[in-house]
Amino acid sequence: MATVLEQKVLSQKQKDRRRHLWIYAGLTPFVFMAVFPIYWMVITAFKQDPDLYRMDNIPFWFNLAPTLRHFKILFFQTNYGAWIINTMTIAAWVAVITLITAVPAGYALARLRLPAAENIGISVFMTYLVPPIILFLPLSRVVAMLGLQDEWWALVVVYPTFTIPFGTWLLMGFFKTVPMEMEEAARVDGCGYLGAFVRVVLPVSLPGVLTAVIFAFTLSMQDFLYGLAFVAPGDQKPVPVGVPTELIRGDVYYWGSLMGAALLVGLPVAVLYNFFLDRFIQGITGGVGK
Amino acid sequence: MTPTSLQGGGPEPTARAAVVSVAAPRARLMFQSQTSRRLAFGYLLLAPAALYVLLLVGAPFLFSLYLAVSDANVGDPVATFIGAENFRAALEMDVFWIALRNSIVFLVVAAIFKSLLGTSLAFLLLQDFPGKKLIRGLVVIPFTLPIAISVLAWKWMYDSQFSVINWVLSRVGLIGQYGTDSWPIWLGDPKLALLACIAVNVWRTFPFSAIVLLAGFTSVPLEVLDAAKVDGCSFFQRFRHVVAPMIFPILMIGFLFDTVFTLSDLSVVYLLTQGGPANASKILPVLAYQIGIQAGNLGRGAAIALFLVPLLAPAMFLFLRNLRRREY
Repeated sequence: MATVLEQKVLSQKQKDRRRHLWIYAGLTPFVFMAVFPIYWMVITAFKQDPDLYRMDNIPFWFNLAPTLRHFKILFFQTNYGAWIINTMTIAAWVAVITLITAVPAGYALARLRLPAAENIGISVFMTYLVPPIILFLPLSRVVAMLGLQDEWWALVVVYPTFTIPFGTWLLMGFFKTVPMEMEEAARVDGCGYLGAFVRVVLPVSLPGVLTAVIFAFTLSMQDFLYGLAFVAPGDQKPVPVGVPTELIRGDVYYWGSLMGAALLVGLPVAVLYNFFLDRFIQGITGGVGK
Repeated sequence: MTPTSLQGGGPEPTARAAVVSVAAPRARLMFQSQTSRRLAFGYLLLAPAALYVLLLVGAPFLFSLYLAVSDANVGDPVATFIGAENFRAALEMDVFWIALRNSIVFLVVAAIFKSLLGTSLAFLLLQDFPGKKLIRGLVVIPFTLPIAISVLAWKWMYDSQFSVINWVLSRVGLIGQYGTDSWPIWLGDPKLALLACIAVNVWRTFPFSAIVLLAGFTSVPLEVLDAAKVDGCSFFQRFRHVVAPMIFPILMIGFLFDTVFTLSDLSVVYLLTQGGPANASKILPVLAYQIGIQAGNLGRGAAIALFLVPLLAPAMFLFLRNLRRREY
């Protein structure tokens, strides 16, 4: 009796293993496709030039010793350091602006039973879908009017045009999940609306607020057009704009440095975004916090 | 967004009315003043976000309509009204029609490939297997990497001489040696340039299609499926009448979202080919940028960008409808 059962368990295990093998086999091309360009960037960034530009070797591994020369060029002969600082400062400002606007707005739309709150929420979110390519020409005038052309401050003003709608929508969904009784209890205890919001709702909504900050960061990094159109001086650019426009001069490509520059900033952003991808998808498909 | 601005000053009159109507029963008065206080607080909280969006999305959008009917250019800030001249001029440019055609080809071909790849990936990721989280994390990297950065990797892989793709193809014997006619120059050949750009878009967004599809599948509650099974529905009936209607709105939103971003994205083509060689990969956003910023003709550039609106409008409309349907 026991042996029969054992056999059954075993064969079930075997079946599972075979099924898993099929799944892995099916996934391999996808993983390869997704990861190969990244692998190619990494190995390019550490290869010596003579190793990069020859055709007779197998290019997938080092034929000469790896080198850090490309990174040295990057930090000592280009504005790369400045771009990293610009990128971080821009993202931080954008996150702050997004927070002080989207958190209250999301709360108001989710919890204060405003007339037509749902429609207002949807129309704010729709502005997220107005593509930059339609807005960048008029916005270039706005930027010029503010006297910010050719400074990274222009991007601090412009990036919230997409982080605020997205953040508001995300937080609106998030605030809907906070139990109503908590605010009511706080108000019975003598808090005003503001008090209930600041002292009771905000502390329990910290995860949602944090998510909004992360998106302010990662969405700012996804921009290329605004940075390209509004910031010309070499030392004012953010990384995603500076690397392709400043490191490529005419026909001379420093592929090693280019790939290194792209990686150093791209990978951390990709990893961070990865953790919050499900929130992003939930956000745009409208099922936030359900 | 206009309702926001119109209702921005709304609560105060109600509040005054509540105070004035002393004759009203005391309870109702309290209720009313509390309601109006709540509304006032609500609009106050909403105001900063609403103002930002109105001033920097709403107003610029209207301003772009104005630019499109003016002769504004970078050097001369005083623009005069010239009617539909910019649109007429755009329609008379050969390159405009090439760009329009390329934009549509780009959108359709890319959509076909990313939905095929995305669907197969989604079905694989729907299974349970060890290491699923890690594999999922690896597969979505193309979508999470900042776009300008991943395009650079592709530019290097498409290099005219040191392309790793060509190296492999050549070793396998599918193409000849460097310098021969059968050595493809991905970004320099008018027949290949647009395809090469489309491939990058597909690479970047197939994980997105897969994840949206997965989100759709996992949104169908198991109890509903079980109930249908108990009621005697076959697998296909369950798929047709239960799963499909439930995931359709999500799929639709994902699809439309991607349409808007694919149609309006300039970075892939701009960084790979700038629309060349000889306009072979020119798409509308690149043309709008080149005319609006590089040539400094703001009016004409705005007009060309606005030609995206009729392409985007159906997508936006459907998006809105699906979003609403999911809300309730």
